[in-house]
Amino acid sequence: MESNPTHSRLTAIALTFMAVIWVSPFSWLILNAFNTASTGQLEIPRSVGLDNFAMAISGNAGRQFLNSMLIAAGTATLSVLVGISAAYPLSRLRIPGRNAFLWTLVLLRMLPSAGVLVPLYFAAQRGGLLNQLGVIIALTILNLPFTLLLLKNFFDTVPIELEEAAYVEGATLFQIVTRIVLPMSRAGIAVVWFFSFTGAWNEFLLPLIFARVQDAFPMSVGLYAAFGQQGAINYGFLTAYSIIYAAPAVGVYFLLRRNMNTGFAGVGVKG
Amino acid sequence: MADVSLRGIRKSYGSVEVVHGVDLDIKSGEFVVFVGPSGCGKSTLLRMIAGLEPISGGDISIGGVRVNDVPSPKRGIAMVFQSYALYPHMTVYDNMAFGLKLAKTPKAEVDQRVRAAARILQIEDYLERMPKALSGGQRQRVAIGRAIVRDPKVFLFDEPLSNLDASLRAQTRIEIAKLHDTLDATMIYVTHDQVEAMTLADRIVVLNAGRIEQVGSPLELYSNPVNTFVAGFIASQRMNFVPVERAGDGLSLPGGKILTLAHDQLSNARTLGVRPEHLHLASPTAAHFTGTLTVIEQFGEYALAYVELPGGELITVKLDGAPDLKLHDTIHIGLPDHGVHLFDDKGRALH
Repeated sequence: MESNPTHSRLTAIALTFMAVIWVSPFSWLILNAFNTASTGQLEIPRSVGLDNFAMAISGNAGRQFLNSMLIAAGTATLSVLVGISAAYPLSRLRIPGRNAFLWTLVLLRMLPSAGVLVPLYFAAQRGGLLNQLGVIIALTILNLPFTLLLLKNFFDTVPIELEEAAYVEGATLFQIVTRIVLPMSRAGIAVVWFFSFTGAWNEFLLPLIFARVQDAFPMSVGLYAAFGQQGAINYGFLTAYSIIYAAPAVGVYFLLRRNMNTGFAGVGVKG
Repeated sequence: MADVSLRGIRKSYGSVEVVHGVDLDIKSGEFVVFVGPSGCGKSTLLRMIAGLEPISGGDISIGGVRVNDVPSPKRGIAMVFQSYALYPHMTVYDNMAFGLKLAKTPKAEVDQRVRAAARILQIEDYLERMPKALSGGQRQRVAIGRAIVRDPKVFLFDEPLSNLDASLRAQTRIEIAKLHDTLDATMIYVTHDQVEAMTLADRIVVLNAGRIEQVGSPLELYSNPVNTFVAGFIASQRMNFVPVERAGDGLSLPGGKILTLAHDQLSNARTLGVRPEHLHLASPTAAHFTGTLTVIEQFGEYALAYVELPGGELITVKLDGAPDLKLHDTIHIGLPDHGVHLFDDKGRALH
């Protein structure tokens, strides 16, 4: 390697510059969130406290957190349940046109959700579903192609002999699915659940259109609304709120990593 | 324990028929091996007995009861799969207890039966382990244990040893033979390995292209094969086949020598078959074949010499001990007085 002092100093400066660009937005976020007298400037806080966080989990903001949780967990759970019931037969039965069907699903997945917003909205209006349940159902529908494809692929990895062995031993189809296939696809189901969860957690457009009243807004919409509320921007509240909003995604990342590592169970088969 | 009978069993996938009418009676307590090359329908036949494949035609009875429409769990069978098919998320104990628990057997009885089976197979120490913590041979025992626990009338084995390495395969083969002796149950065993068939079976069923070629005890098949297929398939070293033609009171062999032979149907004989272990080295005058040694494989206790005749036919000779032969030597081979098989133009044996 080069040991030229000028050269290494230049490298150090370049790296520092990059680091500042990367780190400054995060430091701004954290410094302002813990600053009880935040002004929106990048500065060392004079008084440090959790007041902003307290504000971001109480009242309206707290309700929005619960709304987000409800929508995200509801969507993820419903997606997984419906996905399992559809993906298992798709994985095991020789349905004519199965591949064409799956590729159509991929196409559906590519469509931007804004493209189907208007029909979705009117369908929900007619069905009396302009509420959180409506959001959950709509997000599940949009999410299903992805869920279905992933789950089908996970089920494909469960060797058919295990099901045959269970069948010979007297297991019913329901017992085969619940006691063999699902436990073996645990990791896959977790991945799908977490992905659906973050997807629904991040969703902005559908809750905004469907929910319409502030009480029903999730955090994504609440964050948008917090800009310029009552004329002035409360930067301390906003930054604390953002950190809370981002936390589940980070949490999901770690949970996912652990689940990905547990891996799949092809060990029952072969030596 | 139960007898199994197959009557005109057929199996087709769409318009393609893969099993063409199989008739077979398996006696109670018998160990029957289905053997044949891959794609001959032996596994399909076993899966039809197990109830994993629908039957396209014919009747299957187990213990005198027609079971065509009886679902697999009610047929009183247990199956051991080639891939073991252990449930990877359950301990060995739970794997073995799974079927009994499904049948709502009382806990004490489950425990007693699992432990009894584990004792027979010497896997008591692994009961709390997960399948992935076991070696291939141990997994295979658990798979067999899972079958024993259910106390079935008929055991079905689908190539259970083919995932094991050679030494373990030989060892497990002996254990299965002992197991059959201990349990005294009807066993149907599918393999493509003729050594397993010869050593384990009371009776061997040789299958080819969806048909039974021959049924018989291992030694019957060895000494009286009904056609060239069975003759070539049974025994470790493949039987030698050479084309022959009638010449006076005997048969003219490749190379021009005449084999004098008393046989009713000499004029129908087209192929002569002889096992490598029945050939011997002979003096040039007494020899029936003369050729060049192209390959010699020394095994210590015996050697296999591959001799090429002038006409291009390759003949294998099994010689005792370690014969002192050099590559490209001229070899003279003599035929035995007994143990020569004659086949007609369709490959059928002439007796």
